[in-house]
Parts: sequence; structure tokens; C-alpha cells
Amino acid sequence: MSTLIAAPLDMTVRDGFDAEACMNCGFCSATCPLGVPILPRRLFRYVLFGMDDAVRAETETIFSCLLCRSCEQSCPAGVHITENVRLLRGWLLREGR
Amino acid sequence: MSGRNEARTEPRIAVYVCQCGGNIGDYVDTNQVVHAVKDLPGVVVARHAMFTCSDSNQQEMIDDVAREHLDGFVVACCSPKLHTFTFRGVAERAGVNPYRVAQVNIREQCSWTHTDDPTGATSKAMKLVTAGVERARLMKPLHPIEVPTTPRVAVVGGGVAGMRAAIALADVGLEVHLIEKEPELGGHVGKLGAMYPHGTVGTELVHRMLEEIDRRPGIEVHTGAVVSAKSGTFGNYRIAIESVGLRTEVTVGQIVVATGFDSYEPATGEFGYGSPRVVTLPEFRRLLDEAEGPIVRDGRPVRSIAYIYCVGSRCGDRTYCSRYCCSAAVHASLLAAERDPSVRQYHLYRDLRTYGRNEVMFGESRKRGSYYLRFADDDPPLVSIDGERIRLTVHDLLTAGAELALEPDLVVLVTGMVPRANDELIGALKLPVGRDGFLNEIHPKLRPVETVVDGVLIAGACQAPKSSAESVTSGLAAAAQAAAVLRRGVASLDPQVAIVDSGACDGCGECIGSCPFGAIEMTGTGGTVVATIAAAGCKGCGACTPTCPRNAIDLQGYTDAQVRATIAGLLAGRAT
Ligand SMILES: Cc1cc2nc3c(=O)[nH]c(=O)nc-3n(C[C@H](O)[C@H](O)[C@H](O)COP(=O)(O)OP(=O)(O)OC[C@H]3O[C@@H](n4cnc5c(N)ncnc54)[C@H](O)[C@@H]3O)c2cc1C
Ligand code: SF4
Ligand code: SF4
Repeated sequence: MSTLIAAPLDMTVRDGFDAEACMNCGFCSATCPLGVPILPRRLFRYVLFGMDDAVRAETETIFSCLLCRSCEQSCPAGVHITENVRLLRGWLLREGR
Repeated sequence: MSGRNEARTEPRIAVYVCQCGGNIGDYVDTNQVVHAVKDLPGVVVARHAMFTCSDSNQQEMIDDVAREHLDGFVVACCSPKLHTFTFRGVAERAGVNPYRVAQVNIREQCSWTHTDDPTGATSKAMKLVTAGVERARLMKPLHPIEVPTTPRVAVVGGGVAGMRAAIALADVGLEVHLIEKEPELGGHVGKLGAMYPHGTVGTELVHRMLEEIDRRPGIEVHTGAVVSAKSGTFGNYRIAIESVGLRTEVTVGQIVVATGFDSYEPATGEFGYGSPRVVTLPEFRRLLDEAEGPIVRDGRPVRSIAYIYCVGSRCGDRTYCSRYCCSAAVHASLLAAERDPSVRQYHLYRDLRTYGRNEVMFGESRKRGSYYLRFADDDPPLVSIDGERIRLTVHDLLTAGAELALEPDLVVLVTGMVPRANDELIGALKLPVGRDGFLNEIHPKLRPVETVVDGVLIAGACQAPKSSAESVTSGLAAAAQAAAVLRRGVASLDPQVAIVDSGACDGCGECIGSCPFGAIEMTGTGGTVVATIAAAGCKGCGACTPTCPRNAIDLQGYTDAQVRATIAGLLAGRAT
């Protein structure tokens, strides 16, 4: 089954959520001390493509992040990954079910 | 000095055997080779050297000439492809005729091929060097053939590459015939609005170039015209220009071909092509260039666009990358975002090749509502059209291969470049065509604008997909190459050509068909007709020499006598 791409999810503080800069390299996942099963880059895609159900399905993971910023240290694109995770938590609190 | 040397019967020859560091010396005993040839008739100097091509050895060779009154050299070293010109240069500086240098290859042909058998390699080297000495003994001084050239250039194709070449050629004082098939100059760029990378407007760029051309009386523009025939030899070609049934003949020194490309035309049904809401990149550019605000297509506002990359490129027979299209499509998406900042754009690509500074556009586009989805080479997106609705499905490698769907208002097929169908011109100029259908240069890096057809140069996108700036650069390169030849006024051609002994020739004409370059013709009056070979047309291939039943043709530098002496030398060469 394919998911129809829709408008990006509204993260409220749009300027703060900088998923567009992500270039899908995977450095973040490689350096995560928890080895979170869902990659930030994939989450970001879900947001950009308005895939709300896919984001909701990752609620556990999104809340298990330590916000340690280890990923941010290694991101060559300078994505504010942990800030994005916080915005995602906010969205889940508003829109999650 | 050469006058004195030419008078002697037995020439004085020096033999230098190179060790090429260990490349030759580790396998071939160069000392033994020197011994094998040092007493041969004509040899007055024989020695080996660590590197014969080194500056110090070159100076020793020059000193030897002065001391020993040498007439020629035999240099036993690497392939003549590498150092013919090096050693001819040494000869010239020493006052020896450069065509009296024989290079014998004992590296590729002895040491490198027989690493397992040093004795055999050495014995083979002895024979080869002996043969070289025998050949050198018969070497005559030769002098480059000087042909006066015509200071005029034909530029075929009036796109940006051809126009820029014409302007540059006129600026160095050469006359130019700029020949364009269409009623107007300009090519593809003449139809474009803002272009990457600097936003230059294509129509304005062409307009400025037209003004520059107008300002130069040395450029004669022929529009609606093609080149239908070519004859003559290097530096002086005669071409026929045909325009609406009118045929003009002009003599030119060089020809620059800048006939550009065609855009790939998808088949009906290919990614939904044929639907009014599926367009090619050139069609999309026209929509953009005409739109002031948001784009409207098929009566509806376009709020979302999907691009499919690599259409017609990197697939099937067309294995090449069209190079310009990634950048042109990303640039087009920036133009679309300018017209309507809220438009959502999805780029379905295989590899994004916004090379060099074009990468900046790619980054910029992502900040302005462009999303990039990557599909696998063997898994292109599917387009289905159901009445009003267009649906694309794609496995996006950047979303872990998830199957995603899109329902855009417009689909843009990012179509590549294909070679122009130009059979008439290719036939008339005998242009070399590569496997991809584009015209072929001699070497993409070392001789990028020359073709195997002497005096015929290529520039712009007729050679391979190129951006506008790259096409202009290659137009300038072709102009520089043509000017380098023609500004001298005379061309120096290799004198190692075939000549006919008119006393021995009985005019049978057997040789005519053997020349692949059509350089032989029968001339003469009053019953005595003999073959004559145009020195400027002969490439020195030697194909005609064995066809003459009377042995009247000889190839300078490789005469029958020299070939026989070489064989005798090979057979006589002392082996250990
Ligand atoms: C949609 C699109 C957008 C583009 N956008 C950009 C951009 O933004 N930036 C950029 O750098 N590049 C861009 N390009 C690429 C650019 O168009 C080419 O690089 C450029 O046109 C190549 O110039 P050319 O002179 O080699 O060939 P052409 O433009 O093809 O010109 C060749 C000329 O030769 C003539 N001709 C052909 N055969 C004969 C013959 N037998 N006798 C006489 N005349 C003949 C043709 O009529 C034509 O006028 C774009 C291309 C397309 C299709
Ligand atoms: S390290 Fe940064 S650019 Fe790379 S995938 Fe993670 S977020 Fe994206
Ligand atoms: S430039 Fe881009 S779209 Fe064009 S063929 Fe190459 S990879 Fe494909």
C-alpha cells in the first residue's frame, strides 16, 4: 500500500524545524548511544511528506530519545536534530492519539 | 651544417641505449647491446645512459654532434609515441636534421614484455637496435612541407558555441562564414528565459551576441543554409554552402562544426506523456518563461509539480548522462517558486548531478518547497492517469524504500539531450560519430576540439551534452585552435609522405583506389600521364606503395630500401 504524500505536518514553529537541510547521510543514527531504532532522517521525511500516522506510530521512540545531542555533533548539514525531536514531541502531545 | 652532412656517403651515427632507470636496465643488459652495435658500419658513438631523455643526456648528445660531426641518432629506449618529439628536438638544437633520428623501442617490446627472460630480452634488443642502425644509415634529411593556408574559417551551426567561435575568430583577424540551418541564429539558448547559473536571460544573451556579430564585417552570416560538400586539402578546403537552391563555393582554412543537440522526445505513454498535464523540460521552460504569476496548465492552477529525472538518458541505448538536465530542472523549480512561493515541488531522481557551484541551487531549492525523492535505477516511478487525476507511485530510497504516492497538478519529464540527425553534414565532412551518436574528438582531455579529419574542429553540444557556458568555452577553444593554425599563414606538414618517381610511373593508375584519403590523381598532358600525390593530402600511411607494379612509389622516411635494410638488420643482429 502506498502512502499519498500530503502537505508537510505543521510543527507550529516552522522556522525551528529544519528537516529540509537533512541530506540523508546517516551519521546521526551511527552515533546515537541508544541506537534508537527509528532514524531521525526517516522521521524527518514523514514530517515533510505529511505522513502523520507514520509519525504517531513512532511515539515510543520519539519519547525515548535522551536529547544528548550526540547526533547533532556529527551532522554535516547542521540539522538541529534534538530541537526537531522536541518539536515532534510537542506535535504528538497536540495531535497524537 | 646539414649541407656538409648530406654530402658524405657513409653517415656518422650515434647509438644511445637507455636503461630507463630499472625499467629497461633490470632486464636488458644495455652494455651488451652497446657492444653488439658499436662496430657496425656508420656507428661512431655507442653508449648507454640511465635516462636518455634527461636534460644532462640531451646535452651530451648535442656535445657528441659537435665533437663527432654526427649525421643522425639511434635512440633505443621507450615507445616513439612518448619521445619522438623529444629526440627530434635534441637533433634540431644540435643542428642535425630531425628526420634522421630513429627511435627503437626496447622497453615495451623487450624489457616489459620479457620480464621472465632477461637473456632473451637482451638478445631481442640487440636485433632491434641493429635493425635501427641499418634503417638510420639510409635516412635522408627531410623538411616539413609548408602549405600556405587560407585565412578564413567556416563555422557550421549558429548556436552559442558557433556564434562565440565566430566572434573570437573575427577578433584575431580571420574571415568567418557562419552557416546556420534555421532562419535565425541562436540555437536553443535563443529560446530560453533566465538560465542557470547566473540568471542570464537566453534571448538577451543571444541578442547581445548578434550585435557583436553585426559589428564585425569579417563575419558573413548565412541563415537557412547548409554545407553540402567539401574538397581540397589541409589549410585550403573548398566547401559548398547551399541556401534555398542557391549554391556558393568558398575556400576556407579550417572548419568548426557547432551543430548542437536535440532534446529527447518521449514516446506517447512514456511516463504519461501525451496527457496535457505531462510536459517535457523544454515545454515546462516555455510555460515558466511565459507565466508572470503562478502557472496555469490545462485550465487549472498548478499548485504541485512532480519532476521525473533522467527521462531518455542513462537507459537503453543512451547510456550517457545528459549533464545539463539535473541543474536545469533544479533551476526551473527555483523559477517556479519565484512565480508562486507556495507551490510544492517533488523531484523524483536517480542521482542528482548538480555539479560544481550548481550544488548551491540544489540547497536553495530545498529551502523553497522542493522535496527530493530518490528511486532505484531499475525501479522508475509509475505514472497512471485516471481522467482528471494523475497518480505517481515511487519507492523512495530516502524514506527507507517506502512506497509513496503523489497526485500532482503537473508532471515534468526531465528530458535529456540526444544527437541531432545531421546525416547530410556528417557525410559531406566525413565527421567521426561516436557510439553515443555525438561527434567525436581525438582525445577528450588532450585534444578536445580536434577530430580525426584534419582541419575539421568540433565545439559545443554536438560533441557531448554541455551547458551553455561549457559550449561557449569549447567554441572559444575551437577558435583558438583554428587561429593557431591559420594565423601563421603556412601550415607545416609532416614530410613523411609518399612520392612518385615520375620517371618510373607508366600511368597505369593502379594506385589511385588504394589511397584512403583520395590524395592521388593522374596528371600530365600529351600522352604522358603520371600519378601525382598531393603532399598536403597524404597522411603517410603507405597503403599505395605496394600497389604499384613498377615500384614507382616510395614513402619518405620508410623507403623500400629502408624497410629491406631493417629486415636485414633484424636477421643479422648478433644474438648471445
Ligand atoms: C530546456 C533547456 C534548458 C536549458 N537551460 C540551460 C541553462 O539554464 N543554463 C545552461 O547553461 N544551459 C542550459 N541548457 C543547455 C543549452 O541549451 C546548451 O548548452 C546550448 O544550447 C548548446 O549550444 P550549442 O551552440 O552547442 O548548440 P545549439 O544551441 O543546439 O545550437 C546549434 C545550432 O546549429 C544549427 N545546426 C544544426 N545542424 C546544422 C547544420 N547541418 N547546418 C547548419 N546549422 C546547423 C542549429 O539550427 C542550431 O542553431 C538548456 C537546454 C534546454 C533544452
Ligand atoms: S546526520 Fe544530519 S544530514 Fe545526516 S541523516 Fe542525520 S540529520 Fe540528516
Ligand atoms: S543530468 Fe541528471 S537528469 Fe540529466 S541524465 Fe544526468 S543524472 Fe539524469
